[in-house]
Amino acid sequence: MTKQFNINELQLKYLELETLLDITNELNSFENVSVLLQEILIKSCAVLNASSGLILMQNNNSDLFQIEAEFNIDVEALKGIIFNKKKGFFNEVNQNRKPLAVEISNDNFLARTNCTFGLIAPLLDKKDLVGVIVLFDKESRAGISSFDDSDTNMLSAIASQAGVAYNNIKLMENIKEAKTFNDNIMQSIVTGVFTTNLMGEISHVNRAAAAIINLEREMVIGNHYDYVFESNEIINQLISKCEEILATISETQIQIDCNGKSTSVNISVSPLLNDLNEPIGSVVAMEDLSNLDKLKSTFKKYVSKQIVDQLLENDEMLNLGGQEQEATILFSDIRGFTSMSETMTPTEVVETLNDYFNLMIEIIFKYNGTLDKIIGDALMVIYGAPNSTDKDTENAVLTAIEMQEKLIEFNQLRIINSKPPITIGIGINRGKVISGNIGSRQQMNFTVIGDSVNLASRLCSVAASDEIIVSDAVWKQVKDNKLFKGKKLSPVKVKGKAKPIQIKEILYHRPAFHYEQAFEKIEAFLITHLPTKYTYHTIHHIRDVVEQAEKIAKKEKMSKAEIEDIKLAAWLHDVGYIWEPTRHEARGAEYATTVLTALNFPKTKINKITGIILATKIPQSPKNIYEEIVCDADLDYLGREDYIVNSNNFLQEIQLNKKITELEWLSIQDKFLRAHHYFTTRSINSREAKKQERLKMIQEQIKTIKNGTSRT
Amino acid sequence: MSSFIKSTKEANQIVIIETDGYLNNEGGEAISAICYEKIKGGQHKFLINMAGTKVVNSIGVSILIEIIEKLQEVDGKIGYYNLAPIVAKTFNIMGLTKYSTVFATEEEAVGAL
Repeated sequence: MTKQFNINELQLKYLELETLLDITNELNSFENVSVLLQEILIKSCAVLNASSGLILMQNNNSDLFQIEAEFNIDVEALKGIIFNKKKGFFNEVNQNRKPLAVEISNDNFLARTNCTFGLIAPLLDKKDLVGVIVLFDKESRAGISSFDDSDTNMLSAIASQAGVAYNNIKLMENIKEAKTFNDNIMQSIVTGVFTTNLMGEISHVNRAAAAIINLEREMVIGNHYDYVFESNEIINQLISKCEEILATISETQIQIDCNGKSTSVNISVSPLLNDLNEPIGSVVAMEDLSNLDKLKSTFKKYVSKQIVDQLLENDEMLNLGGQEQEATILFSDIRGFTSMSETMTPTEVVETLNDYFNLMIEIIFKYNGTLDKIIGDALMVIYGAPNSTDKDTENAVLTAIEMQEKLIEFNQLRIINSKPPITIGIGINRGKVISGNIGSRQQMNFTVIGDSVNLASRLCSVAASDEIIVSDAVWKQVKDNKLFKGKKLSPVKVKGKAKPIQIKEILYHRPAFHYEQAFEKIEAFLITHLPTKYTYHTIHHIRDVVEQAEKIAKKEKMSKAEIEDIKLAAWLHDVGYIWEPTRHEARGAEYATTVLTALNFPKTKINKITGIILATKIPQSPKNIYEEIVCDADLDYLGREDYIVNSNNFLQEIQLNKKITELEWLSIQDKFLRAHHYFTTRSINSREAKKQERLKMIQEQIKTIKNGTSRT
Repeated sequence: MSSFIKSTKEANQIVIIETDGYLNNEGGEAISAICYEKIKGGQHKFLINMAGTKVVNSIGVSILIEIIEKLQEVDGKIGYYNLAPIVAKTFNIMGLTKYSTVFATEEEAVGAL
């Protein structure tokens, strides 16, 4: 061998030092114990020329070691060997805490490694032996040999470094494990939790918190709470206050704006303290109440808030079964809904019912009624079950009154919107009922049954449109309250009762009919609904008729009340054009009946109005002075200077359907004017002469045209 | 063939030996056995693909030095490629790179030898 190629001791020492330096440098770069141990073992074997090696680490629960790293060794052959920390070579290493060079005899437990020499170095956690590095058979070109003192020192140094690195990694693993454990707990809880640091920056947000505040965690972490909760001053105030007083503070049921979504929450803010009890930030816990609110809200569509709260507090209420108790039952029913719905589309029927029910159910819940059933267009409401109060019957009657009163306003809106008004009858009874959850475990209804319930339903049938009929039992409970006025009605015979039942009608405030308000409503309705294609039957014509009717009525010495009725009829006389021009008088009379009933116009006078409307049908046929006045007002322009303007508008409207010649139009006017006559003294005196002049002119024009035609 | 020798092949009159495992006494002897046999057969250029060798000890290195000495007698050459950093560092410290060459790839090695 050439000398220059010899590996000298210096090179070997250099390699050892480099290896030790590598190990030292790399120790803190490992995040995983297994990788660390494997790397240490390989480097130990390489630098010490060991043919193979093992690293054994103590099992967490016993004194036994298990193989954590192996190099160039047949591990299968070692299966079943018990590496006991307190036996054999290991016990010696454990006792002395120093490396041990050994020769492996045939009867030794390491004999199955097929190795002859070993070097065992302790891996220590502080003073505890937690593992060993075992190197086998030091190699040389002459064969294997035992490890010497130099090897022992080297491995001792490596093991010492390895022990530190091992403990660091274990510590990091424990920290990570604890963090993961905490994170898992935090992420799995439904309470939203976030923490802030001393700078006020949000350092942790759990999943629930991110969901509640409706922001991605990434958008929240690292930002100051003032920024994150910019639109929720209350949260910022709570955190600031907590930072100031270092005590837990909380707020319940506060409404917060969560990135555009409003949410109801309970909030608690506590100081975060370190080991020395020094503040290091705050922890904010939020309880999302929206699900509870949703549940309540959904539930409240069916039962009153009272029942919802009771059910949420006491689920025993959900048991099947019943009890006998006193309760007040209200039934209401829409009158004539079936025939009314025949003229409506299915969508309109549903819309009408929904609008009506929304209004009524709000009133029912306002007075703590429990909506038991919606039966078609009828409602059944319970007061006093499951829990009764001394106000149950009073609440039922107040509900009925408010239902009727609100319905008047509801109908006025419907009239304006060209929708038929709704009228209802209400019956109320009080008596013994069986109350409870009736049905199956899967589906049950809280309801009441019994004779008293049936009677309430019968009273509802007895009630006329707009009426509230109550039994004697109900009246006895509310008669002393000055809020209520009852009108005695004749006893009625109802199905299922042998004797006639004593009943009362509960009176309520029906707003007086206001002419001016009615005129305004009708005018608004006409403006909105009269077809714009008409050039004569416009709001201007109707206003003119109203104006002329008032003038004529005054001349005819009509009373103020009579004049109002005449004006009302004038406003309504052409309303039928909206639906059916060819029989607009009849359609107008129908509409007038409906609208005037809903507006609480005295029923006895409705016929007077409809009579006037019908009388305007050409040829006019008035049967009384009121009808004569409106008929004359309707054709007042025939004897006025603005005849031409009006007749041209009329011609244009006629020509929507049929083109007519000038001669034809003149002939129509001639025929019409000759047949027409005014009825009232005022119109005869002030319009007839002018009308006749107009007739002559028309007849002259006809003559001229005819002569001209014959000459040509 | 030792399990340390994964394969041998020839390219451009170069013997390419692919190793797998610990280049220690046993591994080194496995390489030298092939080299000596090929030298006897008249081949003087060797390349060791050490992709599968992540660990080397000084005994393995000393055997490679013995092979270099043998090759110098016949004007032969040996080179290595696909070395793990720790192996390259050991070769460097042990002076091996003064008498033989470490290449990055087989193509580079075959072209240069």
